[in-house]
Parts: sequence; C-alpha cells; structure tokens
Amino acid sequence: MSDLDRAIVQLRACRPIPEPQVRELCYKARELLIEEGNVVSVDAPVTICGDIHGQFHDLMELFRVGGDVPDTNYLFMGDFVDRGFYSLESFLLLLCLKVRYPDRITLIRGNHESRQITTVYGFYDECIRKYGSANVWRYCCEVFDYLALGALVLGASSELVPLGTLNDAAQSAMPDGELETEVLNSKGEVTSVTYRKILRSSSDTSTDTRDISPPRDISAPPGETPSRTGPAGTGATGDSSGSLSTTTGAVLCVHGGLSPLVDSVDKIRLIDRKQEVPHEGAMCDLLWSDPDEIEGWGLSPRGAGFLFGGDIVKHFNHKNDLSLIARAHQLVMEGYKEMFDGGIVTVWSAPNYCYRCGNVAAILDLGEDASNGGTVARSNGDYGRSNGISRNESMERRIVGPGRRYRVFEAAAQDTRGMPAKKPVADYFLYVPGEELVQPVIGT
Amino acid sequence: MSDFQKAFVRSQLARLPSEAPLILDEAEEETSNSFAAAHRDDDSSSASSASSVGTIIPSPGRNLFARSRGPSARQASNSLSWTDFYAQELFLEHAVDALHITHHAYITPPNGSGPLFVMHHGAGSSGLSFASCAKEIRTRLPEAGILSIDARYHGGTTIDSISHEASEPELDLRLETLSSDLVFIVTETKLAMHWDMLPDLVLVGHSLGGAVITDVAKRGDLGSKLLAYAVLDVVEGSAMDALQSMETYLSTRPARFASLSSGIEWHTRSRTIRNTASARVSVPSLLKEENDSSDPSRPWVWRTNLANTKHFWEGWFVGLSKKFLEAKGGKLLLLAGTDRLDKELMIGQMQGKYQLQVLPDSGHFIQEDQPSKAAQILVDFYRRNDRNALILPPKVGDMMASRAMEKGIGVEGRVGSANPFKKPLS
Repeated sequence: MSDLDRAIVQLRACRPIPEPQVRELCYKARELLIEEGNVVSVDAPVTICGDIHGQFHDLMELFRVGGDVPDTNYLFMGDFVDRGFYSLESFLLLLCLKVRYPDRITLIRGNHESRQITTVYGFYDECIRKYGSANVWRYCCEVFDYLALGALVLGASSELVPLGTLNDAAQSAMPDGELETEVLNSKGEVTSVTYRKILRSSSDTSTDTRDISPPRDISAPPGETPSRTGPAGTGATGDSSGSLSTTTGAVLCVHGGLSPLVDSVDKIRLIDRKQEVPHEGAMCDLLWSDPDEIEGWGLSPRGAGFLFGGDIVKHFNHKNDLSLIARAHQLVMEGYKEMFDGGIVTVWSAPNYCYRCGNVAAILDLGEDASNGGTVARSNGDYGRSNGISRNESMERRIVGPGRRYRVFEAAAQDTRGMPAKKPVADYFLYVPGEELVQPVIGT
Repeated sequence: MSDFQKAFVRSQLARLPSEAPLILDEAEEETSNSFAAAHRDDDSSSASSASSVGTIIPSPGRNLFARSRGPSARQASNSLSWTDFYAQELFLEHAVDALHITHHAYITPPNGSGPLFVMHHGAGSSGLSFASCAKEIRTRLPEAGILSIDARYHGGTTIDSISHEASEPELDLRLETLSSDLVFIVTETKLAMHWDMLPDLVLVGHSLGGAVITDVAKRGDLGSKLLAYAVLDVVEGSAMDALQSMETYLSTRPARFASLSSGIEWHTRSRTIRNTASARVSVPSLLKEENDSSDPSRPWVWRTNLANTKHFWEGWFVGLSKKFLEAKGGKLLLLAGTDRLDKELMIGQMQGKYQLQVLPDSGHFIQEDQPSKAAQILVDFYRRNDRNALILPPKVGDMMASRAMEKGIGVEGRVGSANPFKKPLS
C-alpha cells in the first residue's frame, strides 16, 4: 500500500494526516493542477457536485449515494472548505483522490478557496487548531491558486436511461418522449421525472411530477451506468437523438456564474488564474456571480460579482454551443434548482448547511452518449467553428440539454459527532470583558 | 450650556491625575493575528499628541491619530472633544406624546452630491461612538456627510414632560419609538440645514442601532433616498441568546467612576473599547456627574440606566433578521470576531442576499475598535451601491440591436482587468 493510499484510508476515517505529508501532497497536487487549463475538459459520464464546506460526514454520504472514486467520475465545483468543522479532512481527502485518480475527479475553484475568505470563515482557524501553525493552511492556499476556474463536460447524453425497470403503472402512464430529468432520493428511489417531447417540435418539455416510489433495483451500485434497457419513450430510440440535426451541447461548470467580461468560453482560458481571487474582474465574477430573475446584468448584493438574467444565459449558451451551465455557490433548500428553461442549474451538496439550515443536498449525474459509438462531438465552445458546415437558417442545429439525474440526499446522522459545545454567547449591546470568544477544540 | 458640555469642561478643570498609570500596549491595539497584520492599514491606535493643549478648542489640524511621541500615560486617558470629529451639533425640538424632546445630533454636512451616512449607536452608547469612524470616512470620501444621533436617554438628547407634573416621563425605548425618532431627526435635519432635498442616505446602526435602522429601512419612511443600510455586530439569534447574560454583565461593571479619565481607562483596560483615541472621545458622553453624589469621591455615573431598559430588550431584536433581508436597499452586515449568523441570515447569506464582512480582530464596538477598517468597508459599500456611479453592462437585447447596426462590433470586455463598468475611483 502506497503512502498515498494510506493517507486516503486515514482521511476517510476523518483523521488528519501529518504536516510533512500534507506538504508533499500539496506539492504533487500543484504539479498536476498546473498542467490543467483554466477550463478543464471532462468526458461524460460524470457526477457534478456543488458546495461541500467542510461537512466531511456529508461528503462520505455523497460518495455513498453517488458511488465511490474511482468507480464514479466526479466533478466538484468548489467551496470545499469553511463553515463546517472538517474543512481540512474534506479538502485533503479530495486532493488525495485527485492525485491518486487524476482522470476520475476534477476540482475547480470556489470563492471560498481564497486566503482572505478562509481567514474569516473557519478553515484558517481549523488548521491552527489541528496543527498548531498556519503551515498547512498555507500549503492548501497555494493549491487553491492552481485550481481550474471551470470545466466543460463533453459527450453527455440527451436522454436518460432509466436506472431500473419501471413498474407497469408507471410505464403505462408514461407520456411520449424521452426521459429528460429524474430525481432520486438517497435510497435510489425515483421521486419525480420529466419527459422531453419527441424531437424537432419545440423545446418544451412535459413535466410529470407524480410520485413514483419504489420498486427500484437499489441493489445496483449507484453511479454505475446501467446496461441499456431500452429507451424510456415509446418510439424514441437512441439513434434518433443522435441524428445530424440534433446535438447535445457541452455543459459549462463554474462555481458562481457568468461575467460581463466573459462572452465566450475562450475568454476564460485567457485569464491568468494563478493568484488569490481578486476583488473584481472576470475571475472574481466567475466565482461570485449569481443568476437572477432579471433582464441583463445587475448589482450583486454579495458585494462581489454580478447578477445575470435569463437573456444573458441564453445568449451565452447559444454563442458557445452549450446546452447547460451547471454552477453551485447558492444554497437551494431542495438541493438543486433549474432556471431559465433549463439553461442553468444550481447544484448544492452540503445538506443541512452549517448544521442548521435544514436543506437537502443534491448531485447531478450526466450520462454518456453512446449513440455515436462513443465518439464525442467536440463541442468546446469555439464560437463559429461550425461556420460553413451546417449553420444556416434552414438547417439550424438543435441543441438539446443533457439528460439530468439528480440524486438528493440528507445530512449524515453522524456529522453531529464531535460538534463543539454551544459557542459562548456574544454579548450584544455591550462587550463582556474577560469573556473572549474561545475557539472550541474539535476533531482531536 | 448643556450637561454634556459641562461634563467636558469639568473634566478639563478637574484634571485629576490618573490613578494607576495606564500601560498602553500599543501593539495590542487593533490587534490581529499574523495574517491580518500583514495587510493592516494605517490605523488609529495609540494615544494622541493632543494633550499639550489643555483646552477643548477645536483645532482641526491636530494629528489625532498619530503615534504618541513620548511616554505620557496621563494623556492617554484625557477626553477628546467632539469638535475634532464633527463639524457641528444640532438640537432639534420635538413635541410628541406630551413630551418635549430635544434631539441632539452631530453633523458634518456632505459636499455637492455626496451621500449622508446616518449613524445610530447601540444601547448605552452615544453619537460619539461613531466619531473616530466618521473622521476616517471623511478622509476616504471627502464629499461624504455624517449625521450621528444621540438616541432618547442617551448622550445629549434631553426629554421632559410638557405637563407641569413633577413626575418623570415614562421610559419609552420601544423599537418603533426609536425608529420614529430617527426618521424625525433626518427630516428635521434637512430643514435645519436648509437642504432643498435629502442627500442619498446610507443608514448605519451598531447593535441596538442596527435594529433601529433596519426597522426604518423596512418601514420605507425615508423613501427612495435610502440607498443602503449597514448593520454592525448584531444578529437576532445570538442577540436573543445574549440577553440572558446581560443583567449579570450590568451588575459586574463599575457603577461609578472618580473621573472621566478613570472611566476612559476602565473602557480601554477592560478592552470594552480597544482603541484609546475612540474611547477618549466616546466615553465622556456615556457618563454624567452627580451633583449631590452619594459617593463624592466617585461622582461619575452612567448616563443611561440600562438595567431599567430591560423590558424593551426583546422587542428590539425580534424579527430583525427577517426585516434585514426584506427591506429595500443595499445590505451590509459587519460582524466582529466570528460570524454568528442565525439560521435565517445563514440561508440568506448563502443565497447571496446581502454582503457579509467579518473583522476577526475587533471587539463588539467595531466602529471604535477599528475605525479605519470600518470606515473603508462603509465607503466601499457606499460606492458599490451609488446609483450615479453604477453603469451596468448592456442587456442582450440592446447589444444585439447595436450589433446589428455596427455589424460585428460587439462589446468586448478586457479579460482579467479591473471592472470597467464603474467610474474610476479616486
């Protein structure tokens, strides 16, 4: 067993690894990350995850629900640290997995992967508490500077393959069309589905939110692409979605959202990312912005980044041959939230955030498009690359969104373990002398 | 001459030697951990050199925030006059509910189209709590105005019954009363200053004051002039928790002081206020001298009897988080120490509903402990919310239209450069 494997075992048990080992790990991780572009290309199938925020036991629950590394290919969209009590273990485990299985896990940067933010929201204090010095925090921050800013998922299937066989009642009630989204609870039971109307009509989808409870084949390990059991729709075959005039565009993954300074994916590639997250500019916006029900751009109440509306998303997606933007950054009580006709989705993966918000979490599976015999249509966001081939008014290519399977899960019961006693209350209209806030010692 | 002014004069006359020499640990003031220290800005720590002047004559040129030149423990607890921090004071007459109130406020008017920062202090404090911070705001944004008020039963604000009954007016410190007072003061200030219209307003409230300005923002009484509001170090959830320990605290702090200097010393030594210059200007307004004192050796007592306000405490903070999130305008929550958000604010923060900033090295009195940092944050907050300066990128529809006209020339941003959509900042 290599040192790295041993470190993984130790971290999986939620025990920090010694400082020299952290140093070596961070060094290796940097060597690996420096080779990655600002926008990493990732081939489907992939499971996309949102904020983790040091909720280690919930991360374990995520792996249980989504499948383990390297069996499942993962993409984490940042905010690994801060607020939760195990930022250190969570981030180091993800980093170990990255170094051990570089092609099976992708980490991109969130706004909390920053020196300034971690100093205030817990990660810095946690490192001091667990190691007695800021060295480990410093090593980690150096890794933060090398994390990619986004990822482009290619080759996702437009159609979901149902995980199990539907029971007769559900089957007969199924409308015409292909399975577009499916929501599963942590037991692998389907709780709701939506179907896409069959091809070449408009892009409207019929929504079907009947509660379809079991019976499901929950013995199948989650995250493993099941063998094709035939398309869900009545007449739709796998081939139909792979016809010339239809293509699944790429999926752009980024922590926050869009920037007015970035009108193409290539603009992201031009950023000099190896630095602390700046207070403004393209890099800041990608990590801080939020979608909102507005037209155009708006001021972000966060004090950094922008708000962007549906028109901005549609335009950006169209221009860059994207079918979807997946992002994290905002707490959604239901774990995920699609906006703007499915043009953007927020994925949030920290259940019961901060041990008190009462939300569920979700991860997003995108399946592999096997219809072209595994050939991935490179859709890398090069604007105009298809000029002269098929882009004209009569043969407008129709980009359909990928089939989306959301796995919703709740907080792990054991994450309350090791929670510090209630923090000393602050005194609100007067400061109580002598009662400095004492940082609770945890995780020891 | 108000009681308040008398207090200053007396303090100067008394010139009591400070009992124990105050050990001024300069390194500790506006302290920080190693990291924050690295990018700490200038800062207002240390005793001032003002003391060679034994009077309270305003002299704007005085270098209040300079490092002290020489060991002068005594000077470190001398009072500083408000005149070094604000341009003038206002006395606004207010007859309401059979009461005659003279609202006292400090003001430095804005220049040109500058905004007016309206400050409301916390329970037991006064308008001078914002003195250091106000001055720092002005150095960063010279056109800004500051209006810092003394709430009822605080500082220089006086309150009498109109009727001739000798009975003391009944203590009213309900949140809605304080909110109405603030709106009245802002409106009256406009008249007193002969402004044609109100400048853009940024409300800033510390502690109880944070609850008041949030209530005012939610009520919408100041209309569209309200640009943004900032709440300093108060969160509904943890404030409610803290109420239980308030009485214990009140019973343990000294009830009286021998002099203003010893009052200042107590505040700095107990680290209630962690900045000597701030304490020197704010503490004198918290104390008053009793005429026929039961303890003549220690005649200075608290101006506001906080224990009597107990039955108002809960009412101040109930519903604060909800109102904070719902009111219109830019929102800033500035906390000291760590973030102690309650559930509602935690969700709001993680959904990006407001701006949160935490000053890890500050005590509860953020604006006094770290006046320059607090001022910088408030100025940046204003600039971001300034409607005149904000030019957002074009909407897609407009962009397409102009693109159709110019054929192919779109809006090309400079990648990675500074935000080009705002006016350059000075």
